[in-house]
Amino acid sequence: MSDQTLFPCGQISRRHIFKQSIGALLGGAVGALWAEDGKLDARLPGDKKADAVIFLFMCGGVSHIDTFDPKGNKYAGKLIDAIGFGDNVAEMKRPVIPCLRTFKNYGQSGIPVSDWFPNVGGVIDDIAVVRSMWCQEGNHFPAVIETQTGHRGRAFDNPSFGGWVSYALGSGNKNLPTYVNVGRASSPVQLTGGYLGASYSATPFQAGPVPIPNLKPPASSNAAERDRQMESLTRLNREFRERHELNTDIAARIESYELAGRMQLSAPGIVDLSKEPQHVLDLYGIGEKPTDDFGRQLLMARRLVENGVRFVQICHAGGGNGSWDAHGDMKTHEPLCRAVDKPIAGLIQDLKQRSMLQRTLVVFTSEFGRSPWSQNTTGRDHNPKGYSSWFAGGGIKGGTVHGATDDYGYKAVESPHYYSDLHATILKQLGLDHKKMQHRVFGRNFRLVEEGHGPIEQIIA
Amino acid sequence: MRSKFLTLAMAVAVGSFAVYAADELGKPALAPATKVFTPKKTAQSAKKPAIKGVADARAKTPTPPGTAARPRLWSLQPVVRPDVPAQPTGSTNPIDAFVAAMQTANKVEPVGLADERTLLRRVYMDLIGIPPTVAEQDAYLNDKSPDAYEKLVDKLLASEQYGVRYGRHWLDVLKYADSEERMYAAPGIHYWRDWVVNSLNSDLPYDQFVRAQLTGYRTTERTTMANVGRRSPLERRPDDLFALGFLARGAVNRDGKDVGELQISAVETVSTAFMGMTVGCAKCHDHMFDPIKQKDFYAMKALFDPLVIKKQLLATPAELVAYGKQFEESEKLRLAAQKPLDALAEPYRAKLYADRVAMLPADVQTIINKPAKLRNVAEQKIADDYFPVLRIDSDKIEEVMTDADKRTYRELRGKLTQAGGGRGARTLPAFWTVEVDHALEREPTYVLTSGDPERPEKNKPVEPGWPFYEGEKDFREGRVEAFSDWLTDKENPLFARVAVNRLWQWHFGEGIHKTPSDYGVMGGRPASQPLLDWLASEFIAKGYSQKALHRLMMTSNAYRRASSGDKELMKKNLSVDPGNRYLWSFRLQRLEAEPIWDSILSAADNLDTSLGGPSFDITPASTAPGGGGRGRGGAAAAKLNRRGAYMVRGFSTSREVVPNFLQAFDVDDGRTPCPVRTQTVTAPQGLFMMNSPEIETASTMFADRLQKESQGDLRKAVDLAYRVTLSRPPSPAEKDEALTIVGTDPARLKNLAWLIFNLDEYIYLQ
Repeated sequence: MSDQTLFPCGQISRRHIFKQSIGALLGGAVGALWAEDGKLDARLPGDKKADAVIFLFMCGGVSHIDTFDPKGNKYAGKLIDAIGFGDNVAEMKRPVIPCLRTFKNYGQSGIPVSDWFPNVGGVIDDIAVVRSMWCQEGNHFPAVIETQTGHRGRAFDNPSFGGWVSYALGSGNKNLPTYVNVGRASSPVQLTGGYLGASYSATPFQAGPVPIPNLKPPASSNAAERDRQMESLTRLNREFRERHELNTDIAARIESYELAGRMQLSAPGIVDLSKEPQHVLDLYGIGEKPTDDFGRQLLMARRLVENGVRFVQICHAGGGNGSWDAHGDMKTHEPLCRAVDKPIAGLIQDLKQRSMLQRTLVVFTSEFGRSPWSQNTTGRDHNPKGYSSWFAGGGIKGGTVHGATDDYGYKAVESPHYYSDLHATILKQLGLDHKKMQHRVFGRNFRLVEEGHGPIEQIIA
Repeated sequence: MRSKFLTLAMAVAVGSFAVYAADELGKPALAPATKVFTPKKTAQSAKKPAIKGVADARAKTPTPPGTAARPRLWSLQPVVRPDVPAQPTGSTNPIDAFVAAMQTANKVEPVGLADERTLLRRVYMDLIGIPPTVAEQDAYLNDKSPDAYEKLVDKLLASEQYGVRYGRHWLDVLKYADSEERMYAAPGIHYWRDWVVNSLNSDLPYDQFVRAQLTGYRTTERTTMANVGRRSPLERRPDDLFALGFLARGAVNRDGKDVGELQISAVETVSTAFMGMTVGCAKCHDHMFDPIKQKDFYAMKALFDPLVIKKQLLATPAELVAYGKQFEESEKLRLAAQKPLDALAEPYRAKLYADRVAMLPADVQTIINKPAKLRNVAEQKIADDYFPVLRIDSDKIEEVMTDADKRTYRELRGKLTQAGGGRGARTLPAFWTVEVDHALEREPTYVLTSGDPERPEKNKPVEPGWPFYEGEKDFREGRVEAFSDWLTDKENPLFARVAVNRLWQWHFGEGIHKTPSDYGVMGGRPASQPLLDWLASEFIAKGYSQKALHRLMMTSNAYRRASSGDKELMKKNLSVDPGNRYLWSFRLQRLEAEPIWDSILSAADNLDTSLGGPSFDITPASTAPGGGGRGRGGAAAAKLNRRGAYMVRGFSTSREVVPNFLQAFDVDDGRTPCPVRTQTVTAPQGLFMMNSPEIETASTMFADRLQKESQGDLRKAVDLAYRVTLSRPPSPAEKDEALTIVGTDPARLKNLAWLIFNLDEYIYLQ
């Protein structure tokens, strides 16, 4: 077998990666931004439009009908022919429930946004809304898997989208992980590096005081002492390392301790928001109760992107089915919208004022949308057949609406886009060819994008 | 995970894909199933009427048409005990003669033997996974008898901690998990783990170890002839019930559906673990490389098709009686609260229901209004579909109630909750096992498209069976029973080969055959087939005693080699054998997560070495992604200082089950058989050893211990620190450095403790 030993538990040996990087690491200066190329040649000709992605994933399914895809109430109370998705998949008549939101046309583009997203409405001219997304799976975990990995089911250990991106793009800063997840995900699949190896899985950051497990030395230790300790450690390791100098594992271990040390140095500063000026904190709603949590996460995302992280995934209201799963009552969307609306608008404004928006792609999506009907409640069921996702920055044509659902908001009928098109669009802006996002493992080629129409050209500037 | 396993099976295929590509287009690339052997008549089967056709089947060696030119798979050839090579080795252990012959043939030269202390530490970490105490070190080093080393090995094999260490190895292969999505057997699954540990400690012969987990019987004696001339099942040894956790563990519902996972898991685990064959690969298509057809997969699955999962209460009679009483009490309380509640809510509920029904299309209304008994199947389906629409939840009732009624309603509901809502009685301890449902034995089995039970290919019926065997099968005592007799027969060339290679791998860090669960075409050839075959025949000759094999392997010079030696010699060896397949030095191994955990706690003098019981979870609930954490699920034990083998593992789509520490050090989640753990070297491992609260606590405790045991003599403390952790005194240079660190301040022993935990030598076994 080749050096890239195929391990029976499905994990690819990561050792060869370390072997390659040792030389590069010794040549660089600790603390500086230094990049490493990706492992996949999937470059598109020409310049890329974006360097990084902030991927906002609303766990549980945002109701497009109540946010970015107004349908009026012409059919409210009427029964329509439909197939359910969540608890009850039978074909039957379903009662359309009224939409209680009011919509307003925002900005130059006059795109309607509901009263749940007034702040996002304020930056709508930077946003392209795609109202015709669809996927196949109708329940949360399968749909999360499908939208994250581009494949249904876990028959193969497909990596998450962020893993693919960091695999193809490489690191923008070796002091930090390439792919970071913030917030609680619906499923560990959202963080997996799959068959690309654990090096390409998301490093989970929490918004609280401990962003990375064990990143900070315990309170009892002090920095100067720790420095001395590290020097002693090198001396005490000397005999052993000389004895085993021909062993590549020991070389990799030295390197891994160095990276751990660098992360300890660089990561805490980046996740420390206390030095941010008040007007920036205000922009994200930090300090106001409803928006404080999410605002901190988004501000941290900006700081990570600023420091070379390629893919920041923010999972909102994850765990279990996700809190956006409003079967019971649409009113449960209200506090969630309040929690994310201002921070998201703040992020876009902040990126813009730093001239980062043109190089940073912000994406807002869920695993699926919500149905026009209810299940005998004032809430809405799952709806993978038609829903909205939106994009901002990174070479996206702002103030655009593309695609449409039918009169009820049930099916994507005009320019329908399978979820893989969302992946392809992001990849294109990152200068990557979605057709080349493939990895040969286990004797065959695995692709991220298997279906769909490719990048959504209509929303690209 | 299972899927990983599938992909792996194909993975191993990459290397010589091109060689067979041409064949792939047309006919099967390789010899289809070659019959391997037929079990000899056992003592018991001799009593039974002769099985027709068995002898004939044995006699003929079928050569399928068009395959004559292809070599047959080495691993399917009978194990022929090779002669021990006449190679001068200075060792009486036959292993060394085989190894020397292998080394001569491959032009490598071994380094010298390891020193006593290195070897002592190696043996402890390998066999029990806990470093030797200072007293144990002294006892060994002071034992000047010629068989001191052999005595040490025997002493550790007799320790019950051996079972914890080697049990964990087996559980990786057998796919142990505490939970996995909807895993029926999750409550009480640890009884199976404990059975495995106990079996190893009592050196249950390997064939019995396997048979018990497949059938619940250790031997092939499963029935007895009564005086009246009727054959009836023998009573099982009661604790062997827990062996069946092996099969029960596979029963998992995915997305709320039972997709036959018990059977699929059984085929995949049994074929890789005990046969070293990736039969699972044939689930969706004929095996690309090995002589395994898609039909073989479904034939093997059919062996397990009649099995159903069954809950077995583990309560004492007194507990059952007490449960009944408690249940009655809580029912009384519940009914007292439920009745007035129903009375109050009923008119509202009826009204809401009528309103809902009125909204429905007329034809549906007609169906809904029919009594359930009068509906036909189609009508009932429609009524069921509308159930969610017509369900009236209590909050809807509250919405339409008068304020006064609402208050009363809430009060009554509060009382109902207080009464326990009918769930007042606590759950009784239980274990999930499997049993045969004879009705299922009569159902035909088909090939399933992509393994989906809802897509049977009716034109492809299959008979229960298994690959590499074409003789008649005697299913009178059950399908799995017949298979297990074949599997564990002395003549099965795979059975012993696969097992001894695993033991070898766990001692040496890599198997003689490098892919321990793939003896197919793509698994390559063993580094030395004579050595593997000799060990296999020795295993059988020693009555499948694993402990005998441990002793044999560990007393070889091959095991006692140093992990490094003369640099020039090493470079020369590396140039011809970079992977050290030919054992010219002992492989430097990063310890697995469990012995790292156990070492840290034992340095802190805080390791609870008790055996058995539910797993424990070190993840605090507040930091677990997806929720959960300590104490979740009720099964997690409270003690957090137990051996790492008892730390929780499993999988959930909604939360992380495997603690961060285990994940960082490459422990799999138990969804797939894991025959070789990946050994990575990553920054999070460094961060754990440097900064985790576990290391912080252990450093403090270790320092306290050093101070206490050295009675304030810091030179002594430094010495002790090295001996406790690395099983050796510090070198003069190390001692100087350590004393510089500690200075004259005993409080600084904690710094030394931290340093030692972070030494390369601490987690790399030489």
